[in-house]
Amino acid sequence: MNNIDDMNTLKSEDHIHPHVHEHEDHNSSMLEFPERVTEEFNTDKMSPLSRRKFFALVGASSAFALASCNNYRDKGEIVTYNNKPEFSTMGEALYYASSLNDGSGILIKTREGRPIKIDGNPEHPVNLGKIPQTGHATILDLYDPERLKYPLRKKDSALILDKDELVKIDWVKADKEITDLLIKASAEGKEIAIITHTVFSPTQKKLFSDFQAKFPTVKFYTYELHSDNNRAIAWKECFGEVELPSVKWDKAKIILALESDFLGNEGNTTEQIRMFASKRDVEKPDDFNRLYCAEAAMSLTGMNADYRIRISPGKQFEFLLCLTNEIVSKGKLSVDGSVTSLISGHNLAAFVKENDLNKKYVDYLVKDIIQNKGKSLVHAGEKLPVNVHIATNMLNSILGSADLFDLSSRNVSYSAYSTSQELEALVSNMKNGKVAVLINFDSNPVYHFADDYGFSKALEKVGTVISFTMNQNESSNGNNYILPINHDLESWGDFNLRTGLFNLQQPVIAPLYSTRQKEAILLNWISAKPDTFTEDIYHKYLMDRWEKEIYTQANPAVEFRKFWYSCLHDGFINLSSKAVSGFPQFKLPAVTMSQKASGWTVMLNRNYTVDDGRYSSNGWLQELPHPVTKAAWDNYASISPKAAKELGVVNNDVIEIKIDNRSVKLPVMLQPGMAENVVAIELGYGRTIAGEVGTGVGHNANILLSKKSGISEWIFESAILTKTGDTFKVFSTQEHHAVDEEFVKDLHFKRDIIKEGTVEGYKKNPKFMKEHEKELQSVNAERLYPGLKWAMAIDMNKCISCTSCVISCNIENNVPVVGKDQVAVGREMHWIRLDRYYSGTPEDPIVSTQPMLCQHCDSAPCENVCPVVATTHSDEGLNQMVYNRCVGTRYCNNNCPYKVRRFNFFNFRDHFANGVYLQDSLKLLHNPEVTVRSRGVMEKCTFCIQRISEARQEATKDGKPLKGSDVQTACQVACPASAISFGDMNDKESNITKLREHNLGYHSLEELNIKPNVTYIAKLRNKHEEEDSANGLHS
Amino acid sequence: MEKQHLDRILKIRLPITIGVILVAVALTFLISKSERDGVGYQPEQPIKYSHLLHAGQLKIDCKYCHTGVEKARHAGVPSASICMNCHSVARRDRPEIIKLVKYYTDGTPIPWKRVYKLGDFAYFNHSSHVVKGINCVHCHGDVANAEVISQKMSFRMSQCLSCHRDAHNRLPELGDKIKNGPVNCSNCHR
Repeated sequence: MNNIDDMNTLKSEDHIHPHVHEHEDHNSSMLEFPERVTEEFNTDKMSPLSRRKFFALVGASSAFALASCNNYRDKGEIVTYNNKPEFSTMGEALYYASSLNDGSGILIKTREGRPIKIDGNPEHPVNLGKIPQTGHATILDLYDPERLKYPLRKKDSALILDKDELVKIDWVKADKEITDLLIKASAEGKEIAIITHTVFSPTQKKLFSDFQAKFPTVKFYTYELHSDNNRAIAWKECFGEVELPSVKWDKAKIILALESDFLGNEGNTTEQIRMFASKRDVEKPDDFNRLYCAEAAMSLTGMNADYRIRISPGKQFEFLLCLTNEIVSKGKLSVDGSVTSLISGHNLAAFVKENDLNKKYVDYLVKDIIQNKGKSLVHAGEKLPVNVHIATNMLNSILGSADLFDLSSRNVSYSAYSTSQELEALVSNMKNGKVAVLINFDSNPVYHFADDYGFSKALEKVGTVISFTMNQNESSNGNNYILPINHDLESWGDFNLRTGLFNLQQPVIAPLYSTRQKEAILLNWISAKPDTFTEDIYHKYLMDRWEKEIYTQANPAVEFRKFWYSCLHDGFINLSSKAVSGFPQFKLPAVTMSQKASGWTVMLNRNYTVDDGRYSSNGWLQELPHPVTKAAWDNYASISPKAAKELGVVNNDVIEIKIDNRSVKLPVMLQPGMAENVVAIELGYGRTIAGEVGTGVGHNANILLSKKSGISEWIFESAILTKTGDTFKVFSTQEHHAVDEEFVKDLHFKRDIIKEGTVEGYKKNPKFMKEHEKELQSVNAERLYPGLKWAMAIDMNKCISCTSCVISCNIENNVPVVGKDQVAVGREMHWIRLDRYYSGTPEDPIVSTQPMLCQHCDSAPCENVCPVVATTHSDEGLNQMVYNRCVGTRYCNNNCPYKVRRFNFFNFRDHFANGVYLQDSLKLLHNPEVTVRSRGVMEKCTFCIQRISEARQEATKDGKPLKGSDVQTACQVACPASAISFGDMNDKESNITKLREHNLGYHSLEELNIKPNVTYIAKLRNKHEEEDSANGLHS
Repeated sequence: MEKQHLDRILKIRLPITIGVILVAVALTFLISKSERDGVGYQPEQPIKYSHLLHAGQLKIDCKYCHTGVEKARHAGVPSASICMNCHSVARRDRPEIIKLVKYYTDGTPIPWKRVYKLGDFAYFNHSSHVVKGINCVHCHGDVANAEVISQKMSFRMSQCLSCHRDAHNRLPELGDKIKNGPVNCSNCHR
């Protein structure tokens, strides 16, 4: 009642106003406004509620609402297990040995049943605890919010107009419909084509043949965008053997890599890096290996070479023949008649002159190879043609390099690659309607196959197309059925990459969604009852095969179950293989001579991060800077600065690259060290269907592939480059500028950011670095660290700048992905970065790299400028960052000379790609021991404080003092070269103390006297003389 | 006259007003302090479990149920299966036990109300404290004599530091066995 009364009185009060308003209305409408505009303000028509009353009501109602919130003290619930698994303790990590689909042996860290980190399995004989960056990052794919969550089927076209629309379908129904189709296809004699990547799994191979037995018209096609196939073909032609032996990189004294990026992305890189780096031990300077690179594009291997020779890929064959001829004649080696006839007449001196190679380097190369006969390894890159591989085999056998190959441990593969003829036959069968069912078995042929096969067009004629895939991709587009598959961490499996070495894969988490592992789907279709799928169907199949094959081979003294569990526990079994004696006889097969070509040479390279595009939707990998150019989120056409000048282009100008009738437009990247008239492009970008993260990143250069190969499948000559006049910005995480720009030339040496020397110089005078040391004065009293003091040392002789540490750090420390637009403004969040500096000339650059992370300075400049004391120093020498105190002034960032602090300009998980990484599934991925930082907070490397705390907890539990060697940082664990050491520098016996006091140890920007706790061991280049001070080296 | 009036306001009424406001703020701050810190928080639990009965009278060791307390960061609230170790036979007819058995057989976790909660930005570790011999009572109060569990102490940083800086006086029963705890930021915040 009261209310109504109030309102009435209000109304009567308000009656005073209308007259005034009306009057105004009248005037204004006459003078300024059209009549209807002011009508809205007619107070008669407005609510009778006054402003005052309105606020009173709002206030009262919110007060009531707040008063009803009586559970403000509520802290939620603790949801416990109903039946706790005996082996799990809340808050304690469990580790499982398993395997990735590429065959790497891994150790998975799980917390409360969810995998949070993948590292290499330390006991695995090939990996020895290290895996490449893609292996680390694949854990993101498991939690990818855009994963397919249930099977999809194309809607019936009879009912629905939009034919491409997909509907959810039951697994049982899908199984029924597809098995009917398969039975029908077999009965009618129509082909069932299954397209797959390389098969490394013996059990999968067995499944394939079982599948073929049930459906006889099944044909398998195996392909890989990049493969080792040419090397394998050459090996077979030369030695008559199918399987390639593994290479003992750690036995080679001289390595000549021909367009081979064995340290970057070819072969088992972690193993190769480890073996290569083992011969870069500063304690044994006499034992240093020497790496020569003859290449056109600047690769990671080329960056690490002691001598790098620029040569176009089309000239490699000729170069090898000349080199062989020179070595044979100078070294007075006896060779076969067929070899003599091949190499005779090839003059190295003339070749060097004609192609403008660095004569001094080539002379050194010849001298070194002759001197180290039997310890010299020549290795040709996978993209080079067969004839170069044959010539490589020839030179290696002439040099008697048999000891450098391990014939008892070979690279095994369970499928031969389909030839281009086989693929052409498939496409023509598809066109003729002879293919009833086509299954993309976790492959993406529409994106990968060369356009001139006409695969995607022929696909329309195929009755039923089925994709087994984790995410939607180009090949699943428009399919009749899309069947979602499990991630590696949800699957069973086995892999056999090396003779006698069998890896096991076990699931560490139940499938997150309604998915099945790809093998189980096929197995279910050939089982007796396809309508009753059981989750363990492939598990049993795998165990069954192991019991019959592996168990009998291993012949252990225990029963099968015990054997099986011990294999599962270890993650692998190494069956002793027979030692092979005697290197197979080399027989020179017929070789095709290389053609002389004109114009530009195009090289289509493997990229370092997203592989053949399969990791495109992985933000961590997309954002990982390229090890050479430091560009992220893009591919580009690398050309030499000189060639760019001739073309009239600068960085980011778009050029058109045309080979025959195929053309692609790409932004230019000026790359010092590129051979002239060679353009290098990385494949794997420009995906059109790769989710929110991967779609439209970079440019698709697969268009340049052709079924008719050029020099090889990946190298084409006679290309035409034209300037388009457009620009497209490629963003790099490091400022780039011309190498010979006077202002910045050799800045990293002049400023003592990096120090380097030569092996010869070091042998003559081990203390050469300490001679120029200055006495540094400090105004601060020295702080004492009586207990532990944490310190890190990075051996630059071993570090090859592979960026595995960056990815491992990202995952361990919940580092967000920021996206290309934020990288453009320098806001990437990586706690550790690989700096790359050029010196020398644009033609023959010397590359220096340096991992840069928080140096945890004793007199840290960041600490004394923080107005809120959010960053402080601990009494164990750590530079601490307290997120909760940080208000985001960024003073610390401005005062840090190393620029290693990172600021959260946004909540990047929300900011990036429509908040795709803010979704619930990603929460499972976060490391629960590390705060997930939000907007407005500064962050930086903590020396993995969570791992230190964990080690301290363990030590406390055991009643022992904490030791420096108890802690391993995430970057240290990931480093394939074991370049990173970490520990307590107050422990005089420890490795870290020795390294800190090493003759080659230095701090970056030492003259600032801020006393960093990261020591770098200066890189020694294995040069011939000490003449190299001319090249800017401090020796 | 006006001046006099203003004078009186400035001299008497203003200080009184400010004083009253200050006293009110201070009193509210002090009185509500424990409330704001959650001291005395005693929510109603889904099952009327009594620590007095189990820990006090039956003298069951804390670690029997809170299994993680010596091993891990979390002490852990026991799973229903641990209760069922005894209650698969003991006191099956009591209404609270019937509730427990129902949760257990249905496979639904018991929605215990959370009593103790540290800020997300602090990483506390039970095991490192308990293995040093620090009694649960120091932080959780005399649980063995509490029918219903409630928060006994404020979990502010000052509370942590009072022991970490002065362990001998705060934990006299441990004598020389205890040293001051670390006081670096990163020991708890990371």
